[in-house]
Amino acid sequence: MKTASTALICIVIYSFLMVPFTTYLHKKPFVEKLGYVPSVTALKIVSADHKELVAASLVLKVLMYFGGQVEKPESQIHIPPDYMAMSRMLHGAVKLDPYNMDAYYFAQSFLTWDVKQYKMANDLLAYGMKYRTWDWYLPFLAGFNHAYFLKDYGKAAEYYKRAGELSGSDLSRLLAGRYMQESGQTDLAIAYLSAMEKGERNPSVKKNFRLRMTAFQEVRRIEVARERYLAERGVAPPSLDVLVRDGMLVPPPKDPYGGEFYIGSDGRVSTTSKFAFAGAGRDTTSKESK
Amino acid sequence: MNAIEITDLCKQFTGKKRVRIDALKNINLQVETGEIFGFLGPNGAGKSTTIKIIMGLLRPSSGTARILGVHSGLAASRLRVGFLPENPAFFDYLSAEEYVGFVGSQFKMDDGLLKRRSEDVLKRLDLWDARRRPIRSYSKGMVQRVGLAQALVHDPDIYILDEPMSGLDPIGRALVKDIILELKNQGKCVFFSTHITDDVEKVCDRVGVIVRGALVALDRVENILKSGVEGYLVHLRLSEDVPAVFGGFEAVRRSGAISEFYVPCPAFNSFMGTVNTSGTEVVLVETRRRNLEDFFLSLVSVGRESG
Amino acid sequence: MMTMIGITLKGIFRDRVFQGIMVTACAFLLIPVIASLSMRQVTELSVTLSLSLISFILLLLSVFLGGTSLWKDIDRRYTFSVLGLPLSRQSYLLGRFCGTALFVMLSAAVLGAAAFAVVCYSSAIYPADRPIIWSTMALCILFDALKYILLIAVAFLLSTVSTSFFLPVFGTIAMFFAGGVAQQVHEYILSPASESISPVVRQIANGLYYLLPNFEAFDLKVNAIYGLPLPTGGLLLTLGYFFVYVTFLLSVSTAIFSRRELR
Repeated sequence: MKTASTALICIVIYSFLMVPFTTYLHKKPFVEKLGYVPSVTALKIVSADHKELVAASLVLKVLMYFGGQVEKPESQIHIPPDYMAMSRMLHGAVKLDPYNMDAYYFAQSFLTWDVKQYKMANDLLAYGMKYRTWDWYLPFLAGFNHAYFLKDYGKAAEYYKRAGELSGSDLSRLLAGRYMQESGQTDLAIAYLSAMEKGERNPSVKKNFRLRMTAFQEVRRIEVARERYLAERGVAPPSLDVLVRDGMLVPPPKDPYGGEFYIGSDGRVSTTSKFAFAGAGRDTTSKESK
Repeated sequence: MNAIEITDLCKQFTGKKRVRIDALKNINLQVETGEIFGFLGPNGAGKSTTIKIIMGLLRPSSGTARILGVHSGLAASRLRVGFLPENPAFFDYLSAEEYVGFVGSQFKMDDGLLKRRSEDVLKRLDLWDARRRPIRSYSKGMVQRVGLAQALVHDPDIYILDEPMSGLDPIGRALVKDIILELKNQGKCVFFSTHITDDVEKVCDRVGVIVRGALVALDRVENILKSGVEGYLVHLRLSEDVPAVFGGFEAVRRSGAISEFYVPCPAFNSFMGTVNTSGTEVVLVETRRRNLEDFFLSLVSVGRESG
Repeated sequence: MMTMIGITLKGIFRDRVFQGIMVTACAFLLIPVIASLSMRQVTELSVTLSLSLISFILLLLSVFLGGTSLWKDIDRRYTFSVLGLPLSRQSYLLGRFCGTALFVMLSAAVLGAAAFAVVCYSSAIYPADRPIIWSTMALCILFDALKYILLIAVAFLLSTVSTSFFLPVFGTIAMFFAGGVAQQVHEYILSPASESISPVVRQIANGLYYLLPNFEAFDLKVNAIYGLPLPTGGLLLTLGYFFVYVTFLLSVSTAIFSRRELR
């Protein structure tokens, strides 16, 4: 009887305790949640013959953390994910299992667009290509990085060729020919993003791609309107508002990242959000500096 | 050939703090085939150590032990031996039937014979009803009986039993004594250790007494009993009104017309002379001797003084 | 010796070890769910998880069955009754070893079948990029089992010299990790990065490399997960290594155990 009542009391206390306890865990800083990766050498020893498992779990950890981050923007809390910690983890993962596709693929998606560490991304891809010799995705990604971000069309063409050969499809060849010029940048990005989005299974990553693609489709719409304005009036539109007012841009463009589109002095279409949630509102000075 | 032959056997253990302990000191012992040999000694005297050396579980520091002439370090020495360890433990996930079967297979018994013998011994040791239950569910006495069953099943010529009676109730002890006597009648050799003299007195042909690692006595049981006569209890018919003193001895007990006198060995002849000349009726003469227990205790105490 | 193998297997089954494995193997049901979290390699991830789960279960089996088998017999004084039979210590030890090894093989086979089912299911739902080479996967599981049988031989050797279960159990675990990194350490020692290490340490590390079991060679997980070609010659060498090393360990164990005093 006594033990039964003790157990009952424990259950009551437990249920009271669980509320603040779970709240506390929920509010823990994200870096803490993501954890720190011990040195890869140590991991290699501890993981014994489970290196692939440990690598996969590191990748999954990053994915889950990122998934939680993508959900957040909708509730208007903009805390940029700790990309560097994510990158460290993924680098650790490919040291343990150099064949882990998820790691390359995911690292590529944020190292370029969000953190702008093109060199780091390309080095990682080159490392992966040494192992995943059959995989056309890695040269495809590298090619895109070189074409879109680094504007190194020669190198990009090389990678695209390799991707084309490996995949046996004409996707990469198509990309290679048509977008290898400055003016084709937006189309290149849209083509790239739609290819990536189609192949994606992870819902939060897929959503991320779709969001970015929507933004680029908006950019494309503005660019089309800009060209039309130039063709009809003979001068470049002085601002985006003019295009909207003149009915060339219906409905008005909307940045899914919460920023505002503008046409820079060089005629390029940009957005104050820089295609990232973190960018919106954080610095409005970027408009001037651009 | 002797069933068991122990020659100049010594065993030293290294105890705590590197102290050397002489567990066995120069033991010499032969047990013949067809002999029931009791190995008597107080706890810790070296009985089990000796038996473990005979069974090849321990290696002697010097000297040898042989079974039927085969060195005890070899597995072949145990081919005709049934062994019951002290406080035995058997694979407790097996049932008695399975364990006995396992033992039989180790002695290369053929299946039909094994089945028949197994049934016999399990019934004999009152384990038949429990034979399918795992040994871990058995009581201490039952495990002891399993130990006897597995020692008996292959019908060996030599039985080495370490404390076969321990852990058994009086019925079990009686059963074991019966079994040993049966084996004696079959002409088997039984070597068993015990610290209970009564067991030895009832069943053994010969006894060896080990005290503090040394064999202090080795003789036939009847010789020990004979040598132990100290005096006689003489029952005489005397009329009740005379004082119960006779030939210089006072009666130790009187009941009605019968008086009992205790006469030590040296005085017996003269006492009987007096009885004869007085014409008193002798009802009964009993020998009064030290029993094996007294003998054993005297040996142990001597050992203790000298040690 | 055959009866000893039978008794050992019976003991393991009666101690409900197999049921324990089956309960642990329920984790296989979770694998497709976890694997579906992956972005691009669902099948690869389910192979990874399946192989790791098998490996983990076999590790537990070899450490605990291997490390406690002899110790338990001595501690519970079964050795007195068993070795009082005309059974040589060598047959007893080898019977115990072979029974345990057989059980590990058996578990690997059953778990392997479960893994095949899981991977089949995963790859049916999310078609894989890479072809799944079933024979590679089977070989990977086989070599995994061989690795753990080698570990059991290590556990037996430690059991023959120890009077408690601490040395066999923890020694085996330590040996498992040491054997897993032996190759890495060796390569590091050979690399120019190790120049600062004193020659004495280097010699010791070198000696240990040849002395300790090398488990690296038995790890075919990457080949199985990503369908990479198997090094046939290397596998034959590994097989030879396995037989020589196990035989060596067992002969040393037998030699020690035959001289051991059972008090």
